[in-house]
Amino acid sequence: MFSRTQKINLSPIKQIEILASKIPDVVSLAQGVPSFDTPEVVKKAAIKALNRGVVAKYSLTYGLPELRETIEQKLAEEGMYYDFEKEIIVTAGSIEAITSVLIAIIEPKKNEVVLFSPSYTSYQEAIKVAGGKPIFVNLIENDGWRIDFKFLERKINSKTAAILFCNPNNPTGTVFSKEDLLKIADLAEKKKFFILSDEVYKDFIYADEREYGIASLSARNDNNQESLRGAERRSNLNQSAFFSLAQLPELRKIVIRVFSLSKAYAMTGWRIGFLHSDEENVKEILKVHDSLVTCAPVISQYAAIAALDFGDKEIEKFRQQYQERRDLICRHLDDLKDFFSYQKPNSSYFVFPKLLPKRDSWRFALDLLEKAHVAVVPGVAFGPSGESHIRMSFGRSEKDINEAFNRIKKYFNIRTSDVQNL
Amino acid sequence: MINNIFKKIVQFKLKWLAKIYLWRTKPKIIVIAGTTGRYWIKEAVEEALEEKNFSVRTNRKNFNAEIGLPLSILGLPSGNASFFGWLKILWQAHKICLSPRLSASSPRESAYLVLEMVIDAPENMNYLLSIVKPDAVILTTITMIYAENFENLDEIALEYKKLIKVLPWNGLAILNFDDERVKNLAESSDKRVISYGFSKEADFQVKNVRKVSDGQEFEISCPRQSAHLKINRFGQHHIYAELIKAIIKDNFKDRQKDFFGKILK
Repeated sequence: MFSRTQKINLSPIKQIEILASKIPDVVSLAQGVPSFDTPEVVKKAAIKALNRGVVAKYSLTYGLPELRETIEQKLAEEGMYYDFEKEIIVTAGSIEAITSVLIAIIEPKKNEVVLFSPSYTSYQEAIKVAGGKPIFVNLIENDGWRIDFKFLERKINSKTAAILFCNPNNPTGTVFSKEDLLKIADLAEKKKFFILSDEVYKDFIYADEREYGIASLSARNDNNQESLRGAERRSNLNQSAFFSLAQLPELRKIVIRVFSLSKAYAMTGWRIGFLHSDEENVKEILKVHDSLVTCAPVISQYAAIAALDFGDKEIEKFRQQYQERRDLICRHLDDLKDFFSYQKPNSSYFVFPKLLPKRDSWRFALDLLEKAHVAVVPGVAFGPSGESHIRMSFGRSEKDINEAFNRIKKYFNIRTSDVQNL
Repeated sequence: MINNIFKKIVQFKLKWLAKIYLWRTKPKIIVIAGTTGRYWIKEAVEEALEEKNFSVRTNRKNFNAEIGLPLSILGLPSGNASFFGWLKILWQAHKICLSPRLSASSPRESAYLVLEMVIDAPENMNYLLSIVKPDAVILTTITMIYAENFENLDEIALEYKKLIKVLPWNGLAILNFDDERVKNLAESSDKRVISYGFSKEADFQVKNVRKVSDGQEFEISCPRQSAHLKINRFGQHHIYAELIKAIIKDNFKDRQKDFFGKILK
């Protein structure tokens, strides 16, 4: 009984949140929930749809055609061309999209899915739910959490079904360079596996890093044939600030891109997102999506139309706020340089400081929760190389961030001796 | 309650200001209606007219119903959920319409307005047509989208029929012959009709569609010629958009750009 689910863990983020909920006056920097409310224009669109009486029935399994048309328009603005009728599925958030894809592509003989370590904690569980096996490839912390390609190539074999990554990465806030993404594409084409790219934080890239993907191009060595192909690709690219492999038509059969409105439009509770890929892939994923949820929540689909049509200004407002909060959290971490070292995140709303001295991140997170009433996520939850780190979210309000750090500072001042023993 | 009253006032004011604007600037109006595929057709029409040297303005975002359509005509954004935002928009609309410099010959005014129109209830079309009188109409499809307030799809077709009926004597209806209900509208029309689609009966017909790795290849055949095209987009709606582009190119005369400048040379 329960032989599959026994191997699956409840996400450590949720475990921490459950423990935190039992403690009065706890300040949580654990869950990646924006502190903002959903934009007014989105809420109004949902109310209007509710009053029109159009939300009580299922939509098509693919999603409302008018939403998919809007998604197609939005994607085209970003240099991605997908047919709304056959190549886009509206999903119940990104994790449903990812799980549906994994269930569709994992087979008994091709059951390994490569994950970067650290990367979003729920990926490993989603892979296990789909009957697969997560294979971790460590990112190089000292090189700005870059991909270790030698290590990656060693981990890829005939059993590799896909590589799944979050770009910008959760929890490190790293934007993978275009050069590195193209190397992954070359590998995927050669070794025949899917690329599953989760881009939920692509709207929160901070000013000084917005051209990250393009700036890093010059480093590419164009001597061999594969590189030439990459160079051709680059020349065809729309010069947008954020690069996605889904912009390259020749990769559409192997790239499946996932996006969620949860973070960008402060809609985590609405459970709405979408995926897109070539028709051949999407028709198979659709069968799983249909079995899992029939369709995404219809009221949220109407809300999503308004968000995509009218939410851009709000995103920019959120982005500016998050950038200020990132700088605030970094200033606090600078004050605690004897206890943490960190890399300033380029994007998302997470920072992933290393614990000094090296120690057990679960024990530290639990101790911090118990003694300082501050919830953070233990780094080990994000993969083996996340050990001795914690993830802190600056999606929370400035007030919460300041209060959390007041408590953390107090915790260290009072209990320095205890901390050394952890 | 107060919100509803304010909304009615905004709607009423915008309607009349849009009418004044149209009366003073006299642009040619092309309306794109139907339940799917309007956006890409709007883009195609805009592109084709610009290639013919016309200045063109189209709907912003999905501004295509009772409040959005006048905003599109006036070239204004939405006041969103803000009371003061809407007051500002009304003030700007007044300024535009009452400006002594506003006229058909003003260089900043567009020769063509390309407008999407959406209806989601009976009588919506009457309201929209009380603002806009199209010179040409492009109809895409009639499907279940926005159909909840109608008895059936035939009732929606009757609403679209009104669009063709109000065309001037020299007006043009461009109809999708792959949609039976849209096709049927041609039979009752006394205006000039050009048909498009995969249907063999269509004037502008598409055939031999082939999906390739970076887009679609197909042939368009029309009364005078045929052409082989390749586009970097996927989906049938983009093929329809190309058909419409071909129709506009074939049926609309070029505007002589800088006519007097050329004579003086």
